[in-house]
Amino acid sequence: MKRYHMKDKININFWQGIAVVAGVFSFIICILLIANYVHINRNDPVNTETLNMLVERLNKNPSDFELREQVRQLDLLARKAYFTTQWQIRTGGYLLLIGLSIVVIALQIIIYNKKKEPVISEGRDENYLLLQKTARKWISVIGTLVILIALVFAFLSHQNLENKFKMAGQNQNELVNKVIQTGKNNDTDNSLQAVTQNLDTMESVEEEPSGISEPSETGDSGDSVVAEAMDTEEVFLITDPGPAKTDDNFTGFRGPGGNGISFQKNIPVSWDGETGKNIIWKRAIPLRGFNSPVIWKDKLFLTGANDKKREVYCFNKNSGEILWTSEVNNIPGSPAQSPDVPNYTGHAAPTATTDGKNVFAIFSNGDIIALNMQGERVWAKNLGLPDNHYGHSSSLIMFEDKVIVQYDQKDIARLIALSASTGDALWTTKRDVKVAWSSPIIISNGNRTEIIVSAEPFVAGYDLNSGKELWSLNCIYGEVGPSAAYADGMVFAVNDYAKLVAIKLGNQPEVVWEDEEYLSDIPSPVATDKYLIVPTSYGMVVCYDAKNGTKYWEQQFDNTIYASPVISEEKVYLIDKQGVMHIFKVDKEYVSIGEPQLGERIVSTPAFSDGRIYLRGYDNLYCIGKL
Amino acid sequence: MKAKIAYILLVLILGIQTISVQAQQRFPKPEFESGHTQPSTLTPETRAQFLEIIDVIVLVISLSVISWFILKKRSRKGVFWISIFSILYFGFFREGCVCSVGSLQNITLALFFPEYHVPLTVIAFFVIPLIYTLFFGRTFCAGICPLGAIQDLFAIKPVSLKSWANKLLGLFPYIYLGLAVLYAATATDFVICRYDPFIGIYRMDGTFNMYVIGGIFLLTSVFIARPYCRFFCPYGVLLNLVSRVSRKHMTITPAECIQCPLCENSCPFDAIDKPVIINVRDNRKSAVRNLLLYSLLIPVFVFLSGWTGSRFHENLANVHPKVRLANNLIENQEDVAEEVLEEITACKSSGKPAEVLYNEAAAIVGNFYIGSWVLGAFLGLVFGLTLAGLTHFKYKTDYTPNKGTCFSCARCFEYCPVDPENFNPRHSGDEKISYER
Repeated sequence: MKRYHMKDKININFWQGIAVVAGVFSFIICILLIANYVHINRNDPVNTETLNMLVERLNKNPSDFELREQVRQLDLLARKAYFTTQWQIRTGGYLLLIGLSIVVIALQIIIYNKKKEPVISEGRDENYLLLQKTARKWISVIGTLVILIALVFAFLSHQNLENKFKMAGQNQNELVNKVIQTGKNNDTDNSLQAVTQNLDTMESVEEEPSGISEPSETGDSGDSVVAEAMDTEEVFLITDPGPAKTDDNFTGFRGPGGNGISFQKNIPVSWDGETGKNIIWKRAIPLRGFNSPVIWKDKLFLTGANDKKREVYCFNKNSGEILWTSEVNNIPGSPAQSPDVPNYTGHAAPTATTDGKNVFAIFSNGDIIALNMQGERVWAKNLGLPDNHYGHSSSLIMFEDKVIVQYDQKDIARLIALSASTGDALWTTKRDVKVAWSSPIIISNGNRTEIIVSAEPFVAGYDLNSGKELWSLNCIYGEVGPSAAYADGMVFAVNDYAKLVAIKLGNQPEVVWEDEEYLSDIPSPVATDKYLIVPTSYGMVVCYDAKNGTKYWEQQFDNTIYASPVISEEKVYLIDKQGVMHIFKVDKEYVSIGEPQLGERIVSTPAFSDGRIYLRGYDNLYCIGKL
Repeated sequence: MKAKIAYILLVLILGIQTISVQAQQRFPKPEFESGHTQPSTLTPETRAQFLEIIDVIVLVISLSVISWFILKKRSRKGVFWISIFSILYFGFFREGCVCSVGSLQNITLALFFPEYHVPLTVIAFFVIPLIYTLFFGRTFCAGICPLGAIQDLFAIKPVSLKSWANKLLGLFPYIYLGLAVLYAATATDFVICRYDPFIGIYRMDGTFNMYVIGGIFLLTSVFIARPYCRFFCPYGVLLNLVSRVSRKHMTITPAECIQCPLCENSCPFDAIDKPVIINVRDNRKSAVRNLLLYSLLIPVFVFLSGWTGSRFHENLANVHPKVRLANNLIENQEDVAEEVLEEITACKSSGKPAEVLYNEAAAIVGNFYIGSWVLGAFLGLVFGLTLAGLTHFKYKTDYTPNKGTCFSCARCFEYCPVDPENFNPRHSGDEKISYER
């Protein structure tokens, strides 16, 4: 005989009553909550029939202030009701939790204190084998059923997804190729068009009949010119393939070809920002940007941007007057929000470029725009949001009818040539490189004119007409910021924590010398046929023999240097971040010519035109000339 | 004295609450001047590192205490109060995150994506219950896991399921585990967390569907005890396997089993193995034949199931947001759901080239093809081994807890009539029933 007895007696009936009451309470709350949920989902508080009717009436009679007030009151009421319902749901949730907790506690107390009556199976002697057989049967049946259902479902819904996506990716490539061949993309009749137009950003704003535009008026590119130094007999061999080689134009970052060489003469070597000595004019720039001035005849162009606004400015280079400002907005595919970029890069780091017909500018969000000389939009597009942790800063460069864009981003690295007249992609070359902040340069070496680009892991040359890679050398790594320099058949590339390399071009380009002592992470080097000047952001400037890497001298300046040097009349103009321009001779020995001060912080590279220097400080644009 | 201790504990608990102010959002929420109140999110707030260490310490202490209650004190009452504590601390206070069940996804993701950093707390929550299970059986399930503890409270009128149903439904956790690992390994989603039925309750914040699923599970728990633990929990699969080789698992009887049948229906989870009586010996020959047959069929099951899985890989891959988005873009459907439209709009405005998206999607589908083969083969192996396991048996005379499925809840202790005086001190104080012959 077995007998169970309770040690502690409690009032089971009492707890049963508690459980029932709490259970009923919880049930009611639960029903109310569900009803409330259904109600809140069915009704849009600000879109009720009555409200809409009143709004419609108000639209017909906007001067009815009484009706307006009525709409406001009703709208307020509806919103209050909505938030009250939200509050009810939350409070109801807590009440339900409390109710259920009481039910559970009561039931547990009852269970705990109730007699435990062991339940003994009647058929104790179960046939174990039979139980196993039944289990096997059901597992086999259900397993087979699962497999059959999975197979039927798989075959019915089979889409060959992997190939489908690969094909779609190839279609994108073909579309790009078609653009290259035809110069237009409006004849692509497939379902991807909408996607392509938006995602691959291959459309121009204006539906001009596209095609490869006519060559630039100044198309005698590829020539080498000899610039004579004014004060010495030394001759520098300088390459200038750009459209404006010896006139007063300064068409892009670090001048024509992007090589840091100016052909200007009679450039001043002394000025003072504080006293105004040799400061011809000074003008405030509406929006900040770290790009450098570009100049075509009497017009000087700058860009400025913040996270909400992007603008292109045209100044009269003689008077400083802002001739026009063009806001860069309403571009299809442009991201709703600008990327989050550090302040030291900003949203307008890349320098614009111009061919005398249009000016081209690119911004941190991938928006690129072409404006004519009057500031009217010619075309605009978005190249895709740059996946770039410091912010996009590669400057544009022109060659004949092509705007060259170095777009080395994390997700995809590309070198793109856009038609200057239509914005259509003339060619796109994928690059297997890491994200970079350097800018392309264009050089002419013998009969060949090519683009030189530096980004981890290689320095490479590309054909200007096809975008085809002509050569590449794995010799650079890290987060490449400095652009390459070129002189007399030699390309120089440098990056911090990597090395300085001198590459001799030819049929098989090769590294002829390298150095690791002084390396730059931001400012770019500049070269002549004899000398290579390498500035560093920590203020050290070094001069090497361009041919063999022999170090001639090193000079430590006090301040940080972000701007790149420009050679003009055998003198190097290198401005530091505090606005001190270090002017020194390009020679085997360091010979300082002057250190005039601007009196404003600056990271932009100076532009030279018509015997004057144009400097963009953080907030102001300066024109410096001999008064 | 007791009152003083209670006050000190209260002050300590309240003090710990203030530590959370040390936790800072990596990306602080914007502050609205209009008085707009930030809606609460579905993921819990960042916790201070100190609190995370406390969590691990509490986990270890709780596991130690509950193991002591089960193995030494043989006290159901102790297990019950630890369950209540776990519900309050690991459930409501910690908002159910990170839980050991979900942590296996973090571990999987880290294995396949080395750049993903797994917090040490997560590793601790994954490993520590496994270690305790290796030594003491599933004491974690008994009352520490907040998901199990809340279901346990609702086990009011549990019914016994047929043994074949238990075996069959017991395979579902393997499927869930396989899917969870596949989706974590492909960085698709943490499905265990997404479909956690009780997280909404613990956070008092969730979608209506989360509450509905949670409510269904709790209601089911009234009649089928711990349905999630038994038939869904993927972490339970690991604990089940580890517990089978546990060093010191709890026993129903404190001494030698006298083969009385009093405990055989005491387990609400059908986790008591009954004696296998001698008269089945006659069928031994057919049992051996079946064992050989099913053992030989295992490779067939593995291949067939793997192949089926590979055929099904596209359906599995469609869960991945990039695959879904790429598919929607190609289809260029206009009548898609609003949220899909939002995804498409967001993708377009991000400026990401379509080519990149398509290539990524193709690579993901390729990964799913391999993953689905592995998943299918794994499930085939599980089915095969289960079937083979159902062909053999060991003769035994005692009632024993099934070391794999037993949650060590200690309910069966109270039904054992073996005189404990020579063995266990449990009858010294709070025992409320006694057995007389």
